Parts: sequence; structure tokens; C-alpha cells
Amino acid sequence: MAGLELLSDQGYRIDGRRAGELRKIQARMGVFAQADGSAYIEQGNTKALAVVYGPHEIRGSRSRALPDRALVNCQYSSATFSTGERKRRPHGDRKSCEMGLQLRQTFEAAILTQLHPRSQIDIYVQVLQADGGTYAACVNAATLAVMDAGIPMRDFVCACSAGFVDGTALADLSHVEEAAGGPQLALALLPASGQIALLEMDARLHEDHLEQVLEAAAQAARDVHTLLDRVVRQHVREASILLGD
Amino acid sequence: MLQKREKVLLLRTFQGRTLRIVREHYLRPSVPCHSPLCPQPAACRNDGKLLSAEVTHYVIPDWKVVQDYLEILEFPELQGVIFMQTACQAVQHQRGWRQYNKLRNLLRDARHDCVLFANEFQQHCYVPREKGESMEKWQTRSIYNAAVWYYHHCLDRMPIVMVTEDEEAVQQYGSETEGVFVISFKNYLDNFWPDLKAAHELCDSILQSRRERESENQESHGKEYPEHLPLEVLEAGIKSGRYIQGQQHRSSLLGIRPVQGSDFKSRLVSDILIHGMKARNRSIHGDVVVVELLPKNEWKGRTAALCENESEDKALGDAPSEPMPTGRVVGILQKNWRDYVVTFPSKEEIQCQGRNAQKVLATPWDYRIPKIRISTQQAEALQDFRVVVRIDSWESTSVYPNGHFVRVLGRIGDLEGEIATILVENSISVIPFSEAQMCKMPVNTPENPWKVSPQEEQVRKDLRSTHLVFSIDPKGCEDVDDALSVRTLNNGNLELGVHIADVTHFVAPNSYIDIEARTRATTYYLADRRYDMLPSILSADLCSLLGGVDRYAVSVMWELHKSSYEIQKVWYGRTIIRSAYKLCYEAAQELLEGNFSVVDDIPEFKDMDLESRQAKLEELVWALGKLTDIARHVRAKRDCCGALELEGVEVRIQLDEKKNIHDLIPKQPLEVHETVAECMILANHWVAKKIWESFPHQALLRQHPPPHQEFFSELRECAKAKGFFIDTRYSSSFFSPCRVSLYLGCPEIDYRHFCASVTMAGLVFLQAAQHSQKQSTELFQCTYFKDKGPEMEERCIADGVIYSIRTNGVLVFIPRFGIKGAAYLKNKDGLVISCGPDSRSEWKPGSLHRFQNKITSTTTGGESTTLQLFDHVTVRISVQALRCHSDTIRLEIISNKPYVTPNMERPQQSSIVLKSELVKEVTRSVEEAQLAQEVRAKALQEECEEYCQTKGRSLYTLLEEIRDLALLDVSDSCGA
Repeated sequence: MAGLELLSDQGYRIDGRRAGELRKIQARMGVFAQADGSAYIEQGNTKALAVVYGPHEIRGSRSRALPDRALVNCQYSSATFSTGERKRRPHGDRKSCEMGLQLRQTFEAAILTQLHPRSQIDIYVQVLQADGGTYAACVNAATLAVMDAGIPMRDFVCACSAGFVDGTALADLSHVEEAAGGPQLALALLPASGQIALLEMDARLHEDHLEQVLEAAAQAARDVHTLLDRVVRQHVREASILLGD
Repeated sequence: MLQKREKVLLLRTFQGRTLRIVREHYLRPSVPCHSPLCPQPAACRNDGKLLSAEVTHYVIPDWKVVQDYLEILEFPELQGVIFMQTACQAVQHQRGWRQYNKLRNLLRDARHDCVLFANEFQQHCYVPREKGESMEKWQTRSIYNAAVWYYHHCLDRMPIVMVTEDEEAVQQYGSETEGVFVISFKNYLDNFWPDLKAAHELCDSILQSRRERESENQESHGKEYPEHLPLEVLEAGIKSGRYIQGQQHRSSLLGIRPVQGSDFKSRLVSDILIHGMKARNRSIHGDVVVVELLPKNEWKGRTAALCENESEDKALGDAPSEPMPTGRVVGILQKNWRDYVVTFPSKEEIQCQGRNAQKVLATPWDYRIPKIRISTQQAEALQDFRVVVRIDSWESTSVYPNGHFVRVLGRIGDLEGEIATILVENSISVIPFSEAQMCKMPVNTPENPWKVSPQEEQVRKDLRSTHLVFSIDPKGCEDVDDALSVRTLNNGNLELGVHIADVTHFVAPNSYIDIEARTRATTYYLADRRYDMLPSILSADLCSLLGGVDRYAVSVMWELHKSSYEIQKVWYGRTIIRSAYKLCYEAAQELLEGNFSVVDDIPEFKDMDLESRQAKLEELVWALGKLTDIARHVRAKRDCCGALELEGVEVRIQLDEKKNIHDLIPKQPLEVHETVAECMILANHWVAKKIWESFPHQALLRQHPPPHQEFFSELRECAKAKGFFIDTRYSSSFFSPCRVSLYLGCPEIDYRHFCASVTMAGLVFLQAAQHSQKQSTELFQCTYFKDKGPEMEERCIADGVIYSIRTNGVLVFIPRFGIKGAAYLKNKDGLVISCGPDSRSEWKPGSLHRFQNKITSTTTGGESTTLQLFDHVTVRISVQALRCHSDTIRLEIISNKPYVTPNMERPQQSSIVLKSELVKEVTRSVEEAQLAQEVRAKALQEECEEYCQTKGRSLYTLLEEIRDLALLDVSDSCGA
């Protein structure tokens, strides 16, 4: 679909958003009763499910246990029906390994792992529908799930992607915008402190523009935080109502 | 707050699977409406361009109108135009970026009163596409919906006109909402802008071009050309006789020459006409194509009118000649694309070609090649240069082939550049020889002179002391490849010898040099230079039979009877010779005529004392005389069996020291020419015989097909004009047994030795050489006539003979310069030529009438001028400079009387010359038509049945002609 006009002269993107606008975000916590924590998020048409177990004893080889902090184990998978073309995506392929690693880095930075030495926290994320920004959706879903599990964290981890088209930074890229092949940056932010948990970009972008794109992504991440905060509070309210009965 | 909707698209992937794509679509409560009447400017956030407040109505074009009539909407008079986003997207998706960018520029232009309304992102304007609704219907519906919303948004204060091309929409929505009118675009222009003439005209022309396009599309489903058929179908079709295979040999008035062997051949004697780019279906001159014949009622005749050049498809002339087989190309078996020389359009032309300057239509130098579309950023930088390009592809959807830029040859008009152009156009390689090739070459320097090796001395017959060997060549010739000898034997018989330089001794089969020479195929002689086939150490030194040095040669020697000159014995073999004299034709002729004043010009005689000089001279003159005698005799024998003598006018270009053209001199035919040629013919003939006897399987014999009767028609008509009748059946029976023999790859007696040594390979290559020769001569001719000063003025007026008549002019041959060209009797303004009583011609309004053998121009005043075939006229030669092509010579008739030179002796003489010239000319046009261009027929007693040299003009003479720059206008007579 080369040649699509990603940003019109009037400032509209293909799906009708303006440059800094996020897609519609809907989220729910505690979707599974069996798991310690779980959450489901929809960012536009990207849908992700996160499940958290732990902290618990190290499973498998004990030698992996860390003496001073908990081991964060992240697994990412993507459903066969998540994209337009049905495709089997076995565990352990390059893309999901990479994504698992990125999630692990992100959450090691956010979870207070030193509180649970010699134990393990498992985070499983599955993408049900991929329409751009899968990493962001996974992080946001996992954040909610970790919170649902009651694992102490420094702060929310809110992630969002940003791109750069015709001198303008676009927040929260959809699949069409990603596929157009421009630079794309993924940012995971701890909104309260403004610390960056993970920043990833593998395209070329002029240094002068980085600031602008980074700012757009950070702003988008803060917007995500507002929404997630609302979701958490709503969830807590519902839970307390249930408990209060 | 945004509202989220989803759009479902079904796309087809490249693999042919259907892909379901779900895209989000966000709607917002307000988008900028850009209207000054907006009731909630805060919500709409109208920044930037606003519509004018003074308009009486807003006009909203439908998507189809935006696509097709954008040029009209660009008129600044049209104000208050609202482009709906839906329409803009339709343009972007269906008309491409070019059109869309135009639209964007229009919207950005502050002077133009138009805005874009993003209706699809407005929550009240957006209408999802319903199931089963076509894209077009949905677009119209959403535009109408947006128009209605807009009307209400402006609080019903401003009437809105939606213009559409969809009749159904006009009916459906026309009266649905008050204040929103739906009318057709034509109707809108008529009612609202009746005074805007330009817009109406533009609208009409757009409508017409669209109608044409549609009618074409119906034929070819949106493609410019029909697809080629698959190979199996073509092959089956050729076998079954449904299709004909042939080679495209002229792309404009295109003819397809049926290839021999197809069984259609017997029925189809003429070429097949392929008329127009469409029927030509992407085949280019030289391609081997498969043709389907059209039904007889669609056959067309060749146009008999002269046209400016052949690049455009001319409408067939008002009086086309009788219809000939017409066909269309259904497939290409073999593409013979090569590198083409093109010229990029000048700046102004680029601008005409549109804003998208990255694709440029370049005009090839060769008229027969269509324009080539080149993607380049450098078009402007390259516009003064001749450039080599290569064709990459020609899709059925594209009018012109796509190509890419390869290299620059030189500036337009620059001599070097133009010569390089000629070389590239004829696919001639002129790279210097490489080191690897040269290191195998023998050395011959003053310090280290080349010597005859003792081994060779053993093997070869030594003629150095026994024979008087001499060579006769044109003046200034460096590569002397043949020499002659004649002597009296002890028994009183004569011994005639023909010696050809032994190239094979130096060039081993399959060595680097051999391979290189095979690709070069021949030495190219252009008017002022030459490009060697072999390194100059060979061609100009060791394989050149120069005077006074030892050289290896291959010889044929005949023992002839002392008085009857009957051949008694033949001997073939390798020899060592030392040529005693290197004569030029003129000197030889002088000696022959007993005029010894030229002796001082012969270097070999310079250092001799008077006595020995006299003795040597006598010896030489005797040999020359004897040789001439023998040649006459052999020739007479040949003639009595029926020989064909064909000659063209040959012009030599005289250059002064600074390589400026001094003069064009017609070559004087000398008897010595014939003598030398005769000896070579004899040698060729006997060697051919020998080869055929020794290697019946390896001798390459070529037989010419019997000539097409059609080609004789012109000759017959010409003859009839003067009251002769020529039985071409007889001539064809005369021509048909003629055969050409070419011999290649025989280990013992190599073809290379005998076909004038330094040339090998077949006629094809020689034709290429000739083409380049011809073009280069034309180049020089043009240069000659171009920089004429006042004294040249006179030279540009010459006597010409009419040799063919066309509907709007005549073809004229000028014997003085050997030029053929077209002279128009009707100019571009429709004026015809008229000659008054003083025979001066003027342009006057009138009409032309063409008859069989004459053409009459009648002016409105009643005067009439008739030009007959073979009439003499006076013409002025001028040069027409063309940017993209080589300059061409133009002829203009200035008088219908022969040109009288101040020198009174001339006319007498020239009229005699002219007559013979004319006969030759006519004969040649017939003979050219027979594929084997200029050929010299020779029939020798009963051998002629087996392998006479006949029309396979001896390659020697062919080379001679190349050397002398034969001016053969092959294409003209083929197209006639």
C-alpha cells in the first residue's frame, strides 16, 4: 500500500486521528480467576491479554535463582488469527523471544524485585489481534496484570509508540502507518518520575528530530497512564464494593 | 471525544488470496468547515483558508467530476468550491499521485477560492458503506450526505450545488433536500457560467478525449496494446498457417518480411503492411514477430505521399496505392533490442510533458524506433547531448517503452559526437585492442624488424625473386590486402597470380584476436577515419602487402594459354612475396595509357637511376597491359554468358589538412578498377570451386530467393514511361540461378584469405558497415552543404533527375553529388509549385494531380506545370537541421529545366553521363529490392550452374565500394 498519504494537508491521519491523538483504549483487570493477576487491553484494534503468576519459588533449575531479587520471566506469544493472514507462530521464534526479552527488561525496571529474593515472577502475554503497537499494548496489559497480582511496583509502566512523517511526530501508530516503513520508536515510561524503562528504535532518524518524536511518545505514554489509572481505580472500586458486601 | 468505527476492507494479495483488513475509523464532532457563515467558529476551528463571502452558492463536485474535470475546476472564475474528502481520496486512489498533487496544489493556492471538507471524519457526515453497495455509489452518497450536512451547518443560508456525472444521482437526490441542488456538470456550466468560453471548450475536449479513451478501453480493457500470445500458441499458429512469422524491417510504414520456409510464402509474395502503433503491438524494428493477417476488407495501401519523416503515423494518403496484405502483430518471437541513441527533449518540451519531470520521453535518433520513456533526474543536464539508452521493458499498459540511461556520447552537432552516434546506431564496437590481445602480436619496429622465419621459408613457395608482384589500390590506402602478378612462362604461356595477405598466419583460430575480430567482423571505413578489425600492426603493416618488403601471402596462380587466355592449370598455395610497386588506380591508369609523367609520383622509382628505371618501367607497363588484356578477355567471356553490371555513383569526400571538407568529387570509373575487380572475381570463383570440391559440407553456399515480382513493378513503370518493355519474368529467371557462395571455417584455405583478407563473416556485417558508411557520408555531406559561404551558393544548385513520382512530390537523384532525395511540389501551407515561362518556379495556391508517369500542378490561375519521370530539373540543396536526428538534405526545385552550368562543355558531357547514370539508377533500384543490395552478377560457362559468383558481388568489389563510400540509399527504394 505504498503511496498512502499518512498525514493529510489538513492534519488528519488515515484513520481520522490527528497527529498526537491516541487510539481508543479499553482495558479490564482480573479477567481470569485462576491466575494471580490478569488483564485485557484494547488499543484500537490491537488486543492483548496478560497473565501474571507469582512471586513463587523458582521452577525448574534452582541455579537460576537470584540471591538478592526476584527473577522476572516474560513470555510473549501471538495468536495465529492475530493478523490479516492466518499464520502459525510457534513459541520461541525470533520475534517472540525478542519481545519477551524487552518485556523482561521493562518489568525488571518497574517491579521492586528486591522484595522477593530467590523467587520468580511469570508474566505471559498473548496478542489476540495485532494492528500496530503490539509492544505498547503488551506492556500496558502486563502492567495492569502485575497490579492485579498485587506485586509491588515503583510506578505504572506505560508504553506507547511514535512515528515520524513529513516533519510531524505521530503518536500511537496503527498497522498501516507502521507498514509504510517510516521510523518507529517504542517507549516505556514510568510516568510519575518520567524515567524511561525502555526505549527502542531500529530505523534511521535524524538526531534533530529525536527530541520531537520522543516528546510525542512520552506525552502519549502519559495519556495512556491517565487512562490506565482510571481503569485501576475503577477496578479497585468494583473490588471494594464486592468485598464490602 | 472521538468515536471509533471500523471499516472492513477486502484486499486481494499478490498470491491471489483475499485478505480481510479491518481498519479503524475515528469520527469527530467537528471538523473545520472553512466557511465564513459557520455558526460555531470555535468548535470548527477554522484556521487558514476561508471560502469567499461574496459567492452566491457553494459548489460541491462529485468524485467523478473531480477526477475528470479538475482542469475546469482550476479556473479562478469558479468560486466557492468545496472538495469533499471522499472525492479527493477517489482521485488519489484512482488517478494517481500526479493528479492528486495537482488537486493539493489547488487547495493550497490562496488565490483560488476552494477548500477541502474532511467529511469522512465528521461524525454526522460519515456514512458507512452498506453491504453490496458499489464504491461509486457509496462515494456519491457520502458526498451528497456531506453536502446536505454542510447546508444545514451554514444554517440553510447558502444554497449548495452538487455537480455530478451520475444521472441516477441527479434523479435520486435532485429534489430530496431544499437548497441542495444536484445537477450534471455540463448543465452547471451552461447555467451558471454561460460566458466562460474557455471552460466550455475545455469541457468539450475533455469529454471527447474521454469518449475516445473509453472506446479504446472497450477494445483492450484499459490496456494500450493487446497482450502477446503465449509461445505455444504462436508456434502452433505458425505451423497451421494461421500466423506468419517475419522480421519487422521498418517500423513506420511498417512492413513485415515473411520469413522463408513458412508455407504462406508461396502465396504471399509481398511484404505485410502493419499499420499503426497499435497493430505493431510493441514490436520494434528488427524484432522477429508473428503476424496475423487481417481480413481483406481491412487491407490498406502504402501511402504514396512523401512525408516529412517517418516518425509519425501518417494518415494514409488521399490516394493510397492498391491495398496490400495488412496484418497485426500477435507476438514477438525474438526481441532484437540494442542500445539506442536518443536526444532528450529541450527544456520547453519537458515542461510540455508535464510536471512529473522524472519520466522523460526521449526521441531516438533512428526514426524507426518509437520514443523511449526514461526515468532520470538529469534530463535537463543531458538535453544538449546525444545519449545512449537501453530499453528495459514495454508493458501492454504503456504507450512507450521504458528505458534507462547508459552513457553520454557527445554534444549534439559536434562531429565526434555525431560519428559516435553513427557507430552506436550500427552496433559497431571501437574499443581499442586489449593488452592480452596485443601481446600475441608480432613486433615490427626499426630496432627489432620483423623477418621471414626460416621454417616458413621451407613450407612456402618463394615468389620474391621470380615474380613481379604489384598492388593497385586507392590513393592513401594503408591496408593493401591484395596484389597481382603476371609473367610469361618458359613455354610461352602466361601466368596470372592473385596474392592475398595471409592473415591466418598471425591470427590463430580461436585466439583472442580471432575472437575479437569475429565480433568486429570488418574494418569500418568512415569518411574521414577507419576502425580496424585487426590491430594496426597487422592490418597496416604485416598483413599489408606494401612495396619492397617480404610478406606472407596466399596465392592462386593460373596458367593461361598464350593467345586464347584459356585457363590451363590452377595452383593454390601459401607463398612469400615482395611487392615491387604499390600503385594507385590513377597512376596505373596513366601508365596504361602510356602517360609516363606520373612516374615521378611512384616512390619506388624515385631512387633509381635513369636506365634501370626505364627498364623497370617497361616491365611494369607490360604487366599492366597484359593484365588488362586478360581481364578484358575474361570479362568478355563472362558477358557472353549474361552478366549483370551494376554501378552506383560514388562520391569521394576530399578533406583538407584540417579535416575540413573541401569538395565532393564523383569517382571517375577507370578501366584499372575493372581489371583489378576482374582478377579478384576470378580468384574468388576458383577458390570457391576448390573449397566446394574439398569440403562439400563446410562450404557455406547461399542461394538468393527468386526476386519478388512486385519489386519490378517500379522498373517496369519507369521503362514504360520511356516506351520500353522489360520482361521481368525473364529477368527473374535470369536472376534466379544466381547464387552467392561464402566460405567459412575451412582449415586449409581460409575464407579470410580470399575475401579480400581482412574481412570475414557474411554480408550482414558488411551491410552494417555500409550503413554506417552511408550515414557518415551523409553527415559529411550535410556538413559540406551547411557551412556554405557565398561561393558555395552556386554549388548548392545542381541538376537532378526525377526517378519516382509521389502524390505530393517527386524523388530526385543528383548525379553530381550522388544524392537522392525528395522534393516537394506542395509545401506545408498547401501551395503548389508552378513554373513560369522563364521556367523559374514559385509557390502558388493550386492543386496537384498525379498520373502514372507524371505529376501536374495546376495553380488557381490556370497555369500548370507538368513534371515527367526522368525529367531534368534544377534543384537547390539545403540542409535541414534536426535536433533529435541527423541533419537531412532537403531539395527544392527551382526550375523545371536542366541546370546549365556556366561552363558550356559540361552539359553535353553530363547528359551522356546522366543517361548511363539513370539506367544504372533504375537497374539498381530493382536489384536493391532483391535483398542482396548491390550485386554483380557473373555467369561463367557451365560452372555458373554450380557456383558462380554471380550477384554475390565479389567481396572485393564490395570492399572497394565501402572504401569509396558508395552512396546507396537502400531504404528509399525498399519503401518505394
